[in-house]
Amino acid sequence: MDLLDLSRFQFAFTAINHFIYVPLTLGLSVFIAIVKTIAYKTKDPKYDKLAMFLMKLFAVNFAAGVATGLTMEFEFGTNWFTYSKFVGDIFGAPLAIEGLMAFFLESTFIGIFLFGKDRISDGMHTFSAWMVALGSNLSALWILIANSWMQTPAGYKIVQTPQGIRAELTNFWEAVINHTTIIRFLHTVTAGQVTAGFFVMGVMAYFLLRNRNIDMAKAGLKVALIFTVIVSVAEIIVGDTAGQLVAKYQPLKFAMMEGKWKTEQPASLDVFGYVDQSAQKTYPFIQIPGLLSFLAYHNFDAKIYGIKDLITMYDQKAQNYANEANMLKAQYTSNPNPAIKDKIVADESYAKAYNISLKDLPSINLVFMPFHIMVGLGFFFAFVTLWGLYLYKKGTIYQNKAFLKTVLYSIPLPFIASELGWMTAEVGRQPWIVTSMLKTADAVSFNSTSNVMFSVFTFVTIYILLFYVYVTTMVKKVREYEYTEVAPSSSPSTGLGVGLAANRTDLNDSNRIS
Amino acid sequence: MGILPDGLFTLQGLWFLLAGVFLIGYSITDGFDLGSAFPMIFMKKEHDRIALYNSVAPVWDGNEVWLIAGGGMLFAAFPTVYAASFSGFYLAILLVLWALIGRAVAFEYRNKRESMAWRHTFDFIYWLGNVLPAILFGVAVGNAVVGVPIDKDAVYHGTFFTLLRPVPLAMGLVSFFMFAMHGAAYLLLKTQGSVFEMAKKYASISVVGYVISVILTNVLAMQEAPFLYKNYFTYPILFAIPLVMLVGVVLYVILLKSGKYDKVVYASGLVNAFTVLNVACASFPVLMRSSINPDYSLTVFNASSSTLTLTVMLIVTVIFMPIVIYYTRYAYKVFSGKVSGEKSYY
Ligand code: HDD
Ligand code: HEM
Ligand code: HEM
Repeated sequence: MDLLDLSRFQFAFTAINHFIYVPLTLGLSVFIAIVKTIAYKTKDPKYDKLAMFLMKLFAVNFAAGVATGLTMEFEFGTNWFTYSKFVGDIFGAPLAIEGLMAFFLESTFIGIFLFGKDRISDGMHTFSAWMVALGSNLSALWILIANSWMQTPAGYKIVQTPQGIRAELTNFWEAVINHTTIIRFLHTVTAGQVTAGFFVMGVMAYFLLRNRNIDMAKAGLKVALIFTVIVSVAEIIVGDTAGQLVAKYQPLKFAMMEGKWKTEQPASLDVFGYVDQSAQKTYPFIQIPGLLSFLAYHNFDAKIYGIKDLITMYDQKAQNYANEANMLKAQYTSNPNPAIKDKIVADESYAKAYNISLKDLPSINLVFMPFHIMVGLGFFFAFVTLWGLYLYKKGTIYQNKAFLKTVLYSIPLPFIASELGWMTAEVGRQPWIVTSMLKTADAVSFNSTSNVMFSVFTFVTIYILLFYVYVTTMVKKVREYEYTEVAPSSSPSTGLGVGLAANRTDLNDSNRIS
Repeated sequence: MGILPDGLFTLQGLWFLLAGVFLIGYSITDGFDLGSAFPMIFMKKEHDRIALYNSVAPVWDGNEVWLIAGGGMLFAAFPTVYAASFSGFYLAILLVLWALIGRAVAFEYRNKRESMAWRHTFDFIYWLGNVLPAILFGVAVGNAVVGVPIDKDAVYHGTFFTLLRPVPLAMGLVSFFMFAMHGAAYLLLKTQGSVFEMAKKYASISVVGYVISVILTNVLAMQEAPFLYKNYFTYPILFAIPLVMLVGVVLYVILLKSGKYDKVVYASGLVNAFTVLNVACASFPVLMRSSINPDYSLTVFNASSSTLTLTVMLIVTVIFMPIVIYYTRYAYKVFSGKVSGEKSYY
């Protein structure tokens, strides 16, 4: 592998690993806050215990998320030098704001929630849970603002600086909202909630199947079921909207997602199949006429452009920009006006970015397959939760082994759906790192290949170990958990900030995370 | 010419100061974690080791965010510097990263098994995870101010070994002992019994180490990087900064000797802040010096973001920084008081 391939592999590998832990953080933080609020309102110890138990699992997950998230923050600079230089003026801001607005909040209040239970009031404890939830969702918001800007840029201009060309901010809100931020944020956050919902249902089902912690498991399953029914149905609706936006703003990605080589009007929906890239053909197993046009534009007769035509169109665009730049250059010699110079810089950069051919495309199967499996899983989740709702209404949900087993074994599926969604989004954006502005191949650092080979090797080792420790720890914590009715005796706590009071020096049992 | 450097009160100059604020915020808060971990491998008793973890357990993650937010700020305000330093110092940066990953993982997973071999492995990872960053931060900053081979596009033309030169290495020692002083002071505040006794000795050793390494750095820098002293002689008022740093050191010793153990941490905080300021002053307005041609150096003026981005970020920082400081203080208050090694938080 050359430098570019290694860097791409490293980024993909580390991002995929980070996103093993992120969805659960996003969703579980909200779920815990809800359960903790129920506990606060009803004073029912069941819910309080449930919230504490889930927060301990959350903490294990959070640590892994933090450890892998650090990498992401560093990696733009270490491996994508030209990219960072090019987009820093716009892209850096959301990352910085994410730290300031979200990570501080999340990291500080998780400490307070986990270890401060006996030092603060119950109201404050509940408040901390909400702050953790707010923090993690804000962090998703800002990172998705950054990512959505790469997908569908807005609010910028291209200029020359002493160290090369770059994109500069012209309108902050336009860049923040761009074309897809809001829907992608909703879709990702909802995905996290589906993940958390299935996770909690699965763990509670495990207790029920083992005949343990019955009271808490029943209560937990009920709350989680109601929660998951709502979010998994919502996810399909939001996902549909996300797809429409892709069709509108990233037609090439859309064509790859659907495996369309040729332009069609009306376009059929090809459900499942495979793409033969060298023959430039897609072999669908099921084909529904006109449906894709309808899904993308709510019109059965809409035109969907195919990959080949799009490439020709982009090529034409590249030509136009190049011609324009040449004309301006001639003009510039007679009239050296800085505005013209900026325009030349911008046009040359677009000419370079749009200059793509079929061989620059990524593996289309890596866009087509993940997308269809994700959608399939989305319908599966909605189906399972609706089945659960039906059983709940009938009153047999806690005894139905088939259902309990289904949710238990479904725990990994939402994680997988999220990863597949990201593969669709990120691989589908290729060959660009910033759509129509900068190609991935031009964005990489001038590292030595051996350095990157070494770091790839180290990351793979560390992350595999981390994943192993993570999974075994989670399983162990669930297995060993015993719900006890009587609260462990806790030493009376004195007022806040008194300092050296003797009874504060020992940590009592409920403080303990083990 | 004023009494303070030209351009300090421009938007870019302000951002230079803000970058300093983030560095200081980091070195004061995460300095607790870094410095308090150094004695780990010299401790034999499980009880003592757990006390070390417990002293920072509820707050370490919030502390680390200063680094993440600071990195983001560098990216946003001086993108070229972020790109050039992170890609140029590739292996050094990744070493810091892996160290920090190890540290985070050790906290959460150390006590998940009874086995002593398991625990001691994580203790070692934890120790390394604090020692390495503590030294490498100094080395990295040292390289940026002394100069590295970057060309006019800010592309770095060196290797990992280019970074290991005398002045930056000496600055690595300074940062190590600076964090050691701070960590020792924190342990004096948070621990009791045998750990507390150990912290007294640890504090004395680290303050001596700090003084020696500062002298060493200056002796070396006067020969190899005399330009670092130019600002001081052009604007003599800047000598106030090393002076306050010195006062901090003296205060540290006095508080330690007179047994005011819960106050020592203020002195080490002062030393931290003014050590960072000192380096910043020596370098202004250069953020990353080019050893190929001084004209290629990245300064706050030629490598900053657009005025619009800097303004937006300034507004965001002015609003959110006080909020962050407010609830961070609250968290420290909730967890005030000494810890023991009887039971682990994790
Ligand atoms: C539990 C997870 C999950 C589930 C069930 C679904 N998705 Fe999804 N999807 C994601 C998790 C996800 C994600 C991880 O959150 C992505 C990756 C990038 C993004 O913004 O969201 C995503 C991306 C993504 C994209 C690409 C957006 C882009 O490239 O910018 C589309 C078009 C859809 N989804 C559509 C759907 C549809 C129609 C679904 C219907 C059932 C669906 N998703 C279910
Ligand atoms: C956490 C969820 C994410 C996952 C699983 C993910 C996955 C991937 C994958 C698979 C690639 C490789 C694509 C290829 O080279 O063919 C990639 C590339 C990349 N992604 Fe993401 N991504 C995620 C989020 C993000 C976000 C939020 C950003 C920006 C804020 C981002 C920025 C990039 C960049 C800069 C590259 C490298 C260049 C490239 O290959 O396009 N990613 N990502
Ligand atoms: C590829 C670009 C990304 C970068 C640079 C990045 C950066 C980071 C960093 C530095 C942390 C550690 C925070 C701490 O110490 O508290 C972190 C954690 C986190 N990140 Fe990411 N991240 C990326 C992708 C994403 C995406 C796509 C999301 C959400 C949609 C996300 C959501 C989170 C959340 C919720 C956390 C909290 C900790 C946890 O995961 O358990 N990140 N991220």
